[in-house]
Amino acid sequence: MNSFDPTSLLSLLELLKCEYNVFEHELSEASKKDFSGIWRVGEYLRDLTSSENSKKDDHEIMNLLSALHGYIEILSEEFELENSAATEIMTKITTVINLTAERKMEVGSIKSEQEKLTKEYSTETQLNQLAGQILAVDDREENLVLMQRQLKTNGLQVVTASNGKEALKLLSDLEIDVVLLDLLMPVMNGMEVLQKIKGNARFRAISVIMISGQQDIAEIIKCIEAGADDYLFKPFNPVLLRARIKAGIDRKRWHDREETYRKQLELSERFIRTTFGRYLSDDIVSQILEAPEGLELGGDLREVTILMSDIRGFTKLTETLPPAKVVKLLNRYLEAMSDIVMEHDGTIDEFLGDAILAVFGAPRSNSDDADRAVRCAIKMQLAMKDVNQKNASDNLPMVKTGIAINTGSVIAGNIGSERRSKYGFVGYPMNVTSRIEDKTRGGEILVSDSTKKNLRDRYGMFSSREIKVKGLTKPLLVHSISWDTKRSRK
Amino acid sequence: MKILLVEDNEMNRDMLVRRLSRAGYIVESTTNGKAALEQMSLNRPDVVLMDMNLPIMDGWTACREAMKDSRLKTIPIVALTAHAMERDRQAALEAGCVDYATKPIDFPELLSKIKQVSEK
Repeated sequence: MNSFDPTSLLSLLELLKCEYNVFEHELSEASKKDFSGIWRVGEYLRDLTSSENSKKDDHEIMNLLSALHGYIEILSEEFELENSAATEIMTKITTVINLTAERKMEVGSIKSEQEKLTKEYSTETQLNQLAGQILAVDDREENLVLMQRQLKTNGLQVVTASNGKEALKLLSDLEIDVVLLDLLMPVMNGMEVLQKIKGNARFRAISVIMISGQQDIAEIIKCIEAGADDYLFKPFNPVLLRARIKAGIDRKRWHDREETYRKQLELSERFIRTTFGRYLSDDIVSQILEAPEGLELGGDLREVTILMSDIRGFTKLTETLPPAKVVKLLNRYLEAMSDIVMEHDGTIDEFLGDAILAVFGAPRSNSDDADRAVRCAIKMQLAMKDVNQKNASDNLPMVKTGIAINTGSVIAGNIGSERRSKYGFVGYPMNVTSRIEDKTRGGEILVSDSTKKNLRDRYGMFSSREIKVKGLTKPLLVHSISWDTKRSRK
Repeated sequence: MKILLVEDNEMNRDMLVRRLSRAGYIVESTTNGKAALEQMSLNRPDVVLMDMNLPIMDGWTACREAMKDSRLKTIPIVALTAHAMERDRQAALEAGCVDYATKPIDFPELLSKIKQVSEK
């Protein structure tokens, strides 16, 4: 740990020396002495950088810095330097020293924090805390008894098996963390049991420690290649056994924790998909999940096509219908319409009562944003027939929707606070769309002139008219698009 | 008022001696813990400022030794710790230092500490 780099200090001292030569003759003897102290510190610092062997410990460095700091303080206290460049350099030096000291302080406190932690969690207590379940497999009864006795004193639960078959049965019945596996056993030897454990997805994470005589080292190497996590030679030292078991339990716990995290991650991804999926199409959700940094608050100015629809006379309907029916009607309508918006890769910005505000061209813009919006509107109008048929069979009134489409530059981004934010849009074109919507009749699609200019395909234009929009001095040119094939043929 | 400064780093020692003298103290200095103990019994300073990482005998040991000596234990020792480490400071207080100052030394604070401990 030695993060100190004196280079910047040395160059500051170099600069100070240049200034010093200018005003040296004005100084008192005492001040000259103080300056010579500074130069001496500089020489030591230079030694630190030039020679590799020099003692570069923190103690030494802090002493030098402290001396330098002190000399500079004396000088700035005891006389007014006429030379402002020198004063400035000296202030900078003090700043560098203070920053270095602060950093050392931080590193120091982290170190002592770590030391405290290590002290608190000695091997013994950690073993007790982990209290894992151990399975010892050995064909010789006396070995099992010995292991059991040694481990039980450490608060570990030990189950035993005298052959491989028994061991595998116990593994599937119990939650085992570590297996102590004797290499040489009749019927199914240790290597075979190991292969069965590591070949099974359910058991793979369990730590396996192979136990053998020293002469079987070649076999042990094969076992490690086959996935054994550790090994011990007989007769084993109880301290070593404990340490290996502890490491094995740790490994298993890590794996378990990782598994939990993975599951949580999967859950939250699913949650995001279902929540966002209501407002955004699938590939936009995927895009956000893959690049979560894109979710930062902030926005960009982009050209989008805005679609707004609502049910004509809906407010009046709500006054005459019972609430349950209003909700049923509304949900049927919104569900049908939002499905169509998604199909056309539109982003639903908001449902405002019966109104739908959707945007085409954000978060991703395409050259056919305007076209998709118009096609979406046509499909929405066509889908109203089906909605109304269902309404009729439920004894609900017929409804008509009006759709306005407008194109313009808006600010798109995650708007809100850290706590609650949504991908949204702001800008004048949003308001204009809403004004056009006000002028739309039931069953009509009104397209602003700016959208019309962006269209690449041809659509049957019904008629063009100018509407007065609040806040705009000039009337706005809008076009009504025919969508009912029967009517347009007339 | 007499101050004994125990500091092995020549530049730091020189700087502190000069600053303290200018602040009106009579300052003597030495470079290791063993010499510090001798000076303490010979000259009986009012306050000792002692670096902890010292050659021959470190500051902590010197401090503990002083505490064992009924004649010396009344002289207040302020530890100067180079490492801004909690552990060093704690060890200094445990060894019997009355206070500590960390390097780089905040001089006005050091002066007020000297004043405080000498008045006790």
